[in-house]
Amino acid sequence: MKQVLKLRNLKVVFPTGYGLIRAVEGVDLDIGDRECVALVGESGCGKTVTSQAVMRLLETPPAVIKVDSIEFDGREIKDCTPKEMQEIRGKEMAMIFQDAMTSLNPVMTVGNQIDEMYMRHQGDSKKEAREKTVRALELIGLPEPRARANSFPHQLSGGMRQRVLLAMAFACMPKLIIADEPTTALDVTIQAQVLKTLRGMQQGCGTSLLLVTHDLSVVASIADTVYVMYSGKIVEKAPVKELFTAPYHPYTVGLMAAVPRLDDEKRKFTQIPGTVPHPARKPSGCYFHPRCQYAAEKCRKEMPPLRSLDGNREVRCHYPLTAGGESHE
Amino acid sequence: MSEILELKNVSVHFPVKGGLPFFSRGMIQAVSDVSLTIKHGETFGVVGESGCGKTTLANAMIGMVKPTAGQVLFKGVDLNGLPRDEFKKMRRQMQMIFQDPYSSLNPRFNVYQIVSEPMFIRGEDSEEEMKARVVELLELVGLSAEDLYRHPSDFSGGQRQRIGIARAISLNPSFLVCDEPVSALDVSIHAQILNLLVELQERLNLTYVFISHNLADVKKMCDRMAVMYLGKIMESGDSDKIFRQPLHPYTQALLAAVLDTSFDERRDQIVLQGDIPSPINPPAGCRFWQRCPKAMEGCKTVPPELIEVEEDHFAACHLVNGFPDVELPAGCDEPVDKEDVQV
Ligand SMILES: Nc1ncnc2c1ncn2[C@@H]1O[C@H](COP(=O)(O)OP(=O)(O)OP(=O)(O)O)[C@@H](O)[C@H]1O
Ligand SMILES: Nc1ncnc2c1ncn2[C@@H]1O[C@H](COP(=O)(O)OP(=O)(O)OP(=O)(O)O)[C@@H](O)[C@H]1O
Ligand SMILES: [Mg+2]
Ligand SMILES: [Mg+2]
Repeated sequence: MKQVLKLRNLKVVFPTGYGLIRAVEGVDLDIGDRECVALVGESGCGKTVTSQAVMRLLETPPAVIKVDSIEFDGREIKDCTPKEMQEIRGKEMAMIFQDAMTSLNPVMTVGNQIDEMYMRHQGDSKKEAREKTVRALELIGLPEPRARANSFPHQLSGGMRQRVLLAMAFACMPKLIIADEPTTALDVTIQAQVLKTLRGMQQGCGTSLLLVTHDLSVVASIADTVYVMYSGKIVEKAPVKELFTAPYHPYTVGLMAAVPRLDDEKRKFTQIPGTVPHPARKPSGCYFHPRCQYAAEKCRKEMPPLRSLDGNREVRCHYPLTAGGESHE
Repeated sequence: MSEILELKNVSVHFPVKGGLPFFSRGMIQAVSDVSLTIKHGETFGVVGESGCGKTTLANAMIGMVKPTAGQVLFKGVDLNGLPRDEFKKMRRQMQMIFQDPYSSLNPRFNVYQIVSEPMFIRGEDSEEEMKARVVELLELVGLSAEDLYRHPSDFSGGQRQRIGIARAISLNPSFLVCDEPVSALDVSIHAQILNLLVELQERLNLTYVFISHNLADVKKMCDRMAVMYLGKIMESGDSDKIFRQPLHPYTQALLAAVLDTSFDERRDQIVLQGDIPSPINPPAGCRFWQRCPKAMEGCKTVPPELIEVEEDHFAACHLVNGFPDVELPAGCDEPVDKEDVQV
């Protein structure tokens, strides 16, 4: 498969008054052509910092970034100038943020905002752009798209605004879209609509997608490949179906068990004991060991490497829970 | 089990702000004609999409907003008929846990000040009594005396929610409204907080109103529940019955929208079209008809009543109950044109 993004050994630290925060510690990420890759993990594990580093949107300072390579569409972008990056971000990479209201211009109609994308990036005339905008709004399922194009953001509901952002992100037909918690603020019914739209557009336009979320049910419904992140490190990577049917890392198992399900027993919620380590005070050995029921002596002393298993999977655990393998049960 | 709270035809309307003073541009019907009963010791769920009136309903339950019409009876007493000091006493038995653990705690206060504030306002306890009580409460919610003088910013979201819970139970309430207590939290912490709520309920004999848009949580937490849409109850009663056989098309759609992490190829489920209409001028008939996949002509104009279909299982839907015996427009049971369905 052709690679759209190859990130190698990304490290991000924030020097603060109370210590050095190692937000991302050596992350590799591969996104294939037309692939939807999900990055999941608990709050504070470094998902947003990773994705912003890829877009080169992190402010330095405060962040200090070290990376071996960010290869985007066959081109090394880690040393691009801010101006070159701006060009790439508009045209070939787009970002969808969690909060639609703050990413839209409140005093401009949504139609004009999308028109501008087409005019800027594809050199269309205003008229051509508007035709494309109307088609895009139709595609995202906005009823009466021609009339609705004249609405201001506050006149639309949250779900509509989020879909307008999708239309904007897809307007320049980017190679890669990074969506950070695109549906977290939405209701379940609207979330289902937006995810369906996102998946449909991604497949229709042949775009690759990096989906950043802490919601495993969202991941299960649209991702192809999943990276699980814990405390700044990737702890597991696998194709979505394999990950959900047989998670190898105890953390992934815990995360999945914690997703509330309709067919569960009453009044008992499966939880992972303990909390995420403070980013300035990480434990020795495997970062997950204080919360891991299988932790052994080795886990307290040595950080396990991320190693390949079964060809297409990777896991960072001394004793992965592989079926019939060296399981600890 | 007897009733602790009863709502009788409660409506809460807000004037639309903006424009000239004294010149109202309409009313937001946040809660319309809601009747329900909540029994001692149970957990009563309220589900529905954003803006459907869940928080407003909860506020009406504990007397934080005055209903425009209808009655709120707490232990048989009408809250809005009470003199001020009587009401204040009653209010101590009813507390609330808020959705956002980040903004609901005063950042300038330390944990001791936050948790003891309700006791401080009551003004019956000495400093030592309050301190001892706060330590006891912190231990109850899984924090410790060491945390007394720390500030909210030193805590994670889950820990902040624990502080909010400690504060809410400080005056030994019997009735606790949990307004989306875990929506802002990660899955793993989500489970910890819900387990804590279940444990506290058993230990302290609490009645809960549990507001959520997560149906899986509601199913696990609640004994009885109400499904709201645009200020109205669509379906209510025993939660096991509702989940076993959801009668209202809206409840069915909500259930279908729950994403699943199992791969049983149910992935292309019904996706509800359209958005939630504005509560300013809600549809005249059934409030859900514009998005309802099964809407009939009559649903546009005839409002359905909430009718008990089986024991403790109510639904407000013409499809379930049939149209009432009033003068009906011709063809009222014809399906609505596809064109009209969608907002
Ligand atoms: N500007 C900053 N200064 C100091 N620390 C920071 C800064 N930005 C992020 N961090 C820290 O980096 C870590 C990773 O943060 P990040 O925002 O990537 O988490 P996340 O996985 O996106 O979490 P969430 O799910 O809450 O969005 C956190 O511990 C955070 O506190
Ligand atoms: N004080 C107020 N003044 C005017 N309108 C209000 C007020 N409080 C609520 N509303 C309106 O009443 C409706 C119901 O709001 P409410 O907060 O009860 O919804 P909710 O179901 O709790 O939503 P969410 O899930 O987003 O918390 C909304 O349209 C809201 O804008
Ligand atoms: Mg983030
Ligand atoms: Mg609310």
